[in-house]
Amino acid sequence: MSFVIGTTMLAVVTAVACALPGAFVVLRRNSMLVDAISHAVLPGIVVGYALTRDIDSPWLILGAAIAGLLVVLGSEWLARTGLLTGDAPQALVFPALFSVGVILVTLEFANVHLDTHAVLVGDLNLAAFEQFEWGGVPIAPRYLLVMLGVLAVNVAFLAAFYPRLKLSTFDPQYARVLGIRSGLLDTAFMFLVSVTVTAAFNAAGAILVIAFMIVPPATALLLSRRLPVMLVLTVVIAVGGAVAGFWAAYWLDAATSAGMAVFYGAIFAAAFATSRVVRRRHARPRPEGSRRTTPLLATGS
Amino acid sequence: MNPVDFFADHTYRMVFFGTSVIGLVAGALGVFAYLRKQSLISDVISHSALPGTLLAFLIAVVVLGVDGRNMLGLIIGAVVVGTVAALGANAIARSTKLRIDTAMAVMLSVCFGLGMLLMRVIANGVFPGKGGIQDYLFGNASVITIVDFVTSLAVGGAAIVVMIVCWKEFALRVFDPQHAIALGFSARLIDALMFSMIVVATVIGLKAVGLVLMVAFVVTPPAAARQWARTLPGMVVLSAVFGAIGSGAGAYLSVSLGSVPTGPLIVLTLFAIFLVSLLFSPRRSLITRSIGRIRARQRLRAQLLAASGGWA
Repeated sequence: MSFVIGTTMLAVVTAVACALPGAFVVLRRNSMLVDAISHAVLPGIVVGYALTRDIDSPWLILGAAIAGLLVVLGSEWLARTGLLTGDAPQALVFPALFSVGVILVTLEFANVHLDTHAVLVGDLNLAAFEQFEWGGVPIAPRYLLVMLGVLAVNVAFLAAFYPRLKLSTFDPQYARVLGIRSGLLDTAFMFLVSVTVTAAFNAAGAILVIAFMIVPPATALLLSRRLPVMLVLTVVIAVGGAVAGFWAAYWLDAATSAGMAVFYGAIFAAAFATSRVVRRRHARPRPEGSRRTTPLLATGS
Repeated sequence: MNPVDFFADHTYRMVFFGTSVIGLVAGALGVFAYLRKQSLISDVISHSALPGTLLAFLIAVVVLGVDGRNMLGLIIGAVVVGTVAALGANAIARSTKLRIDTAMAVMLSVCFGLGMLLMRVIANGVFPGKGGIQDYLFGNASVITIVDFVTSLAVGGAAIVVMIVCWKEFALRVFDPQHAIALGFSARLIDALMFSMIVVATVIGLKAVGLVLMVAFVVTPPAAARQWARTLPGMVVLSAVFGAIGSGAGAYLSVSLGSVPTGPLIVLTLFAIFLVSLLFSPRRSLITRSIGRIRARQRLRAQLLAASGGWA
């Protein structure tokens, strides 16, 4: 497989693997939790490395995913105390964990190739460089296989729990009445998000993972009214943006993941502009009383 | 290291006072982000300040032909793009069905992607003085110069003056937005002013602390101060004090311990202040609350026993 095709495939697979669970993250209003999880990856990897002493060990991914889950559960616990408002719980936990990670790196592993810079920035082209060989013949980028695995797990989870996930996303109270163990389901889902973020950061960088996970579903949500439509649109946008972003970055000689993030941003801006134009055209004066009252705050006038 | 040696050294002095000023300004203005329930907006601001800073650098070097590392120019670039991102996120949440968290995540990640592209452009090109520009990603407290310090003091001081002048409007907008609108205040104008002051508080720390950890400076002191204070002035003052003391103490510790990076250690110091507040504050804290619960239970039991004793 040629380098360019391998890298494009890696970009596409990573994008879809992130965007699919991302659709539910957006609908559950947990988008900024991805930001928090992605920063917890660093301490997770550092501790994983301290235990295994092997930078390529798959246990590192598990350690990082557990650290991500720690952020989720920790901020949920802080929120449940009722002593904090808004999104402060998340914003409190992840910088502290990230700081622990940075301090551990500088104190313990200054001589190892474990660079905070690499964790945050990531490079798809570097990730695609290492080839999986079969009998001495390079077949595909090794990392492509990892991301294909993550994609398969995500698709399997979403397919298996689709009705339950849909219900607990849109009507959590009703889901609980029906006897769905939404607490367990939520935790399992967040663990999956954590694993996906961890696996993808190598290709995308911890911060641009957020773009991969949130921007395509957010764009799809602007353009759709039903969940299946939204999911299909999410995949289409993720794939289209990945291919176009990769070639734009290739042409500009820039980092692939950054190019993809900016391209997703452009698609989002286009969808945002379109939805505003469409809405304005549909906004005809309605008969008195039929109009839904909008709270003052939402209009912000 | 004893305090005399510490303050005799120019670099250490700059680190100590520089981070204290950052902590003070971020702590004071962070209260408004906290009370608006948008603490994470400072994370959006710090990430979108990256392309702002780099654009300002490029404009200064390529268009104006001056030294690109001018702190004030970089701050202006970061403030402009940061304000656009913060208000943009709020505008998306207001005018579409997307929630504020999604709008913030979109803004944050796309702006950061743009920043990474610009970073590559600067790294590939030949620009005079591009050396220290990487510090904005992770921050480096030991490179605070006297000019940086004076600039952040002036800009941060100006932000605090604006906060004091617009105190009444800010307080009204935070606690009773509908009433503010009914009284005829322009919500947009107050929001723009309030968020740009939060932007200033976030941006002045970027070079010393880095864009990843700056959110802790804006969020942690108000969250700690909230456990002690019951009035807005009390909360702002206490939060500023927590920010300044936590930053100074963290900087002092980092220098004393030697090779531990300053930014992360300050964040952990602030987090420790927060944990102590959450556990031990006399009015609202985990321990006070559980003691109150135990006492209430005992009282109820005593009452029930007395009542049943009366009937028997």
